[in-house]
Amino acid sequence: MTLKEQIKKILIEDLNLEDITAEEIADDEPLFGDGLGLDSLDAVELAVLVQKNFGVEIKDMEEGRPALQSVQALAQFIEDKQGK
Amino acid sequence: MTLLKQSMAIQGIGCVGGFGSGNDQFVSALKAGHTSATTVELNHPAGQQTLPALLANTDRLTDFVSRRSLRRIDHFSRMALLGGYLAIEDAGLAVEDCGRIGIIVASGYGATNTTFNFLGSIIDDGDSCASPTSFSNSVHNVAAAYLSMQLQALGPNLTISQFDLSINAALHNAACWLAQRRVDTVLVGGVDEHSSLLNYCYQRYFANSDAVEQIDPFDFARQSAVVGEGAAFLVLSRHADKAKYGFIAGLDAGDFSQRSTVEDSDLLLIGADGHQTCGAMYEQLPTAQSLLNCTPCYGSLPVGQAFDLAAAGLMLREQSCYGVARQQPVGCSAQSSFDSIASLKCTANDQFSLIRLSRRGGDDA
Repeated sequence: MTLKEQIKKILIEDLNLEDITAEEIADDEPLFGDGLGLDSLDAVELAVLVQKNFGVEIKDMEEGRPALQSVQALAQFIEDKQGK
Repeated sequence: MTLLKQSMAIQGIGCVGGFGSGNDQFVSALKAGHTSATTVELNHPAGQQTLPALLANTDRLTDFVSRRSLRRIDHFSRMALLGGYLAIEDAGLAVEDCGRIGIIVASGYGATNTTFNFLGSIIDDGDSCASPTSFSNSVHNVAAAYLSMQLQALGPNLTISQFDLSINAALHNAACWLAQRRVDTVLVGGVDEHSSLLNYCYQRYFANSDAVEQIDPFDFARQSAVVGEGAAFLVLSRHADKAKYGFIAGLDAGDFSQRSTVEDSDLLLIGADGHQTCGAMYEQLPTAQSLLNCTPCYGSLPVGQAFDLAAAGLMLREQSCYGVARQQPVGCSAQSSFDSIASLKCTANDQFSLIRLSRRGGDDA
């Protein structure tokens, strides 16, 4: 499973997005607002899930805002932090 | 019995439990006298064991709340939401009418599953990886908060936990709010859920009891409790002359051994739910008194009295006796008409809660 697929699986299962499938989430689709419709509590939950699943910490809003734009942005952020 | 200066009119009833959801399914279970239990598994050093339990299904909640809006709401709050929505619907209220209603949720245990999942996540992953959603669902007032948000209710909001006496305390508060005219309507109810902690407690304290599949409410000396879960809500208003299900006319609570009044309602609905320690108090009731019991229909849970009030309201409206009567087959069926039903709940520490429902309201009901 690719990193992007892993992120989509986490979004669906851990944020309980029961009305959408992983295939329906485009890599560049915005996670918040008009895109996937996530909100601020999801952002906090997502930061915890990223740390728990990938060992990567999102330290503050400055770091988190660009990282949580989309699945693609988050995957890139994780890869950069992991030094891949 | 302390009579309320102004009785509270019951305008709507909504409940969900092992019997299903809604008043029709509740009445079906009450007429049958019991609900068949499912079995839950528990881990034990001696191996896998099973216990009977009456568990609630909240799938019907999507009739009222979108699946997306429910995604963060746990089973405990979903039961409260479904019970609340059904009561509001039964009262003929629309969500647009809910702006000035107050909300009171009573619970003996609270959201135990989410609370222990949250604590478990701290133990497993450290406090920096504890789930914020689990935390928000574990705070004591979560179910009442979800009800307020979903119903857009701007009135006062309260969560009460006094174990078996939670419903009595909740009704005292509802009476105050209505008397003070802080609100016109109060949505008040009880919710409790099954959890693995309860499995542990049953195994720890009742392991030597006889195997049971159903509560035997009038065998007071026998431990026959079957875990139940669910939510039962009432819509209460200040009307003195019009009530769909009768009126809550009196409330009393205190030490059972010190009680000074003899309940003189036409029917006495006792909350004996198979716990031996409470059975000793019910056993002291006069043998001639006409006793009813509904616990085999919803199970054993701290807020069981909310279900008894729902059952009493339905019985008053239909002028029919439901549940199990002590003097079977006479007793219940022999009662042709009745004006009042009292609900009595005794606790393991010699406390009691007595709530009187009457067909007649008014300021001096």
